[in-house]
Amino acid sequence: MTLILAVTVGALFGSGAYLMLKPDLLRIVAGLVLVSNAAILALLAAALDRGRAPILPLGDGPVSDPVVQALALTGIVIGLAVAALLFVLAYQVYRTSETIDLDELSRLETRREQELEQEEVSV
Amino acid sequence: MTPVLPLLIAWVAAVVLAFLDSRRRWVGCLTVAALATVLGSSIVLLFEVLARGPQTTVAGGWPFGIGIVFSADALGATFVVVSVAVVLAAVLFEVLQGARSRTFGALVLFLVTGLCGLFLTGDVFNFYVFFELAMIAAYSLTTYGGSARQLRAGLVFAVVNLLGSFIFLIGVAGIYRVTGTLTMELVSERIAEVDPAATVPIAVSLLVAFLVKLGLFPFHFWLPTVYASARPAVAAILGGALANIGAYGLLRFGADILPEVLRLGAPVLLVLGTVSLLYGGLQAVSRRSAPEVLAYSSIGQVGYVLVALAVGGPVGYAAAILYAVVNSLNKALLFLASELRGWLVGLAFAVGALSVAGLPPAAGFLAKLEVLRAGVEQGALVLVLLVLGSALSFVYMFQIYQHDFWREERSVRAEGRAGGAVTASVALVVLALGLWPEPLLAVSRDAAAVLAGGAE
Repeated sequence: MTLILAVTVGALFGSGAYLMLKPDLLRIVAGLVLVSNAAILALLAAALDRGRAPILPLGDGPVSDPVVQALALTGIVIGLAVAALLFVLAYQVYRTSETIDLDELSRLETRREQELEQEEVSV
Repeated sequence: MTPVLPLLIAWVAAVVLAFLDSRRRWVGCLTVAALATVLGSSIVLLFEVLARGPQTTVAGGWPFGIGIVFSADALGATFVVVSVAVVLAAVLFEVLQGARSRTFGALVLFLVTGLCGLFLTGDVFNFYVFFELAMIAAYSLTTYGGSARQLRAGLVFAVVNLLGSFIFLIGVAGIYRVTGTLTMELVSERIAEVDPAATVPIAVSLLVAFLVKLGLFPFHFWLPTVYASARPAVAAILGGALANIGAYGLLRFGADILPEVLRLGAPVLLVLGTVSLLYGGLQAVSRRSAPEVLAYSSIGQVGYVLVALAVGGPVGYAAAILYAVVNSLNKALLFLASELRGWLVGLAFAVGALSVAGLPPAAGFLAKLEVLRAGVEQGALVLVLLVLGSALSFVYMFQIYQHDFWREERSVRAEGRAGGAVTASVALVVLALGLWPEPLLAVSRDAAAVLAGGAE
C-alpha cells in the first residue's frame, strides 16, 4: 500500500511539475493544484494504518492515527484557498492583458518597456 | 505573559480590518495602532524570554505532546520584534502617503499574524500553516497597486513559492513518518536516532523550501521581478520581514531540529552562500535602477547568512542571526528610500548603503564583522570571497547613491516628506544599533544559545 501511494504521489507531483513548465497560466495553476494534492497524499501516507474511527472508537482493536487526517484536512483547505487565489490572479492578468499565454505576456511587457524608453528619450 | 499574545492581537486586528476600507485615513491610523500594539507586546515578550527563559503554552490546555505547542524562545522573539518593526515602518510610510487599496491594512495584519505565528510556534505542521498564511497575504500584497506588471510579478511570486511550500509540506510528512510527532522539541530528540538515509531527503526538501523563500542563488530567479515591480512599502515588507522566514526556518530546522544533517551539509551551504553573494553582487553592479540593484543585493546579502550558518557553533549562529536582523533593517530602509528624493532621504539612503557595505558607523559593520569572525575558521579562500562580496556591495550601493541622489534634485512632494521622515527614523535605528551595538550582540548570542551547539 505504501508503495502504491508513493508511486501515486510521484506521478501526481511529476505531472504537476510538467504542467507548470507550460507557457499557459491555466495549466500552471492546474499543475500547482496537482502538486498540492501530491503533498496531501504524502501526509496521509505518513501514517498509514487500519483501525477504528478515532472520534468514537466502539469496541476493541486499534484506532487509526487521527493526526494525519487532521493534517490532510488542513492541507486540503489551504490547497483550496491557494487554488482560488491563483485563479483570481490569472483572471486579473487576463483582464488587464487579454491573454493568458506567458510568451505573449512577456512580449507585451517588452513592448511596453520600449515605449516607456522612447517616451523618456523624447522628453 | 503568554507567547500567543502578539499573535492574537494581530489576528483580531486583521479580522476587524478586513471589514474596513483602508483608503480612509482613520482606518490607516487604526492599522498603525494595531501594529504598534503587536510590536509593544512582542518587545515585552522578548524581555520576558531573555530574563526568564523560553515561555511555552499548549493550546487548549492539553498535556505536552498531545496539544499544539506555542513556544517563545530568544530566537523566535527576536525575529518577531524585528519583523513587526519593519512592517510597522513600511505601513506608516504607506499610510502617510495614502493607502491605495481597500484591503491593504487587513492583508498586512494577516501577514503579521502569519509571521508571529511561525516564529512562536513549537509545532512543525503549525509552522507550515502560519507560513502559508503569511505567504498568501504576501502574494496578494505584491499585486497592491494593480498594474499589469505587478499582477504578473504576483503570479510569478505565488507560483514559485507555492511550489516551495508544498515541497516543505512533503518534508513535514516525512518528519511525521520517521518520528511520529510534530512537536519540535520531541522531533529534535527522536530524529537523532533515525537512519540518516531517511533524514537527508527530509532535510533537503526543507532546505529547498527555505532557499526558495530566501531567494538564494539557484532558486533566485523569481526574486528580481517581484522586488523590482512591487511598490516600495511592499518591497520593504517582502525584503525586510518576509525573507526572515527563510533565515529563521534555516536556523530553527537546520540548527535546532536537524543539527547532524546541518553539519553534514555544511560544505553545500558554504558553496551556495558564497556563490550567491558573488552572483548577487556582480548582477547588482551591472544594474542601474535602484529597485533592481536592491533586489540583486538581497540575493547577495542572504549569502552571508548562509555562510555563517554553515560555519555553525556559537560564533556562526550568532553571526547568522545578527546578519539576518541587520539585513532586514537595511533592506526596509533602502526600499523605502528608493523612490523618494531630498537631502534627508539622501542621508538615510547613505546610512543604509554604508550598512549594506559593512562600514562603520552603521549596524552593518557589526554584522559583517561577526560574519568575518565566523569565516576566519573556514580558511583564507572563504574570507577572501566574503571581503570581495563586501567590496562589490560597496560599489553597487554608491553607484546607485551617485546616480539617484547626486543629480539635480527633483521636487519633493508634500506627502513625500512624511515618508522621508519615516525613512530617516529607520536610518536612525540602523545608526544607533551601529553606535551602541552591545544590546544587539547580547540578544543574538542569547538567541544562538537556544540552538543545539550554539551556547558558549
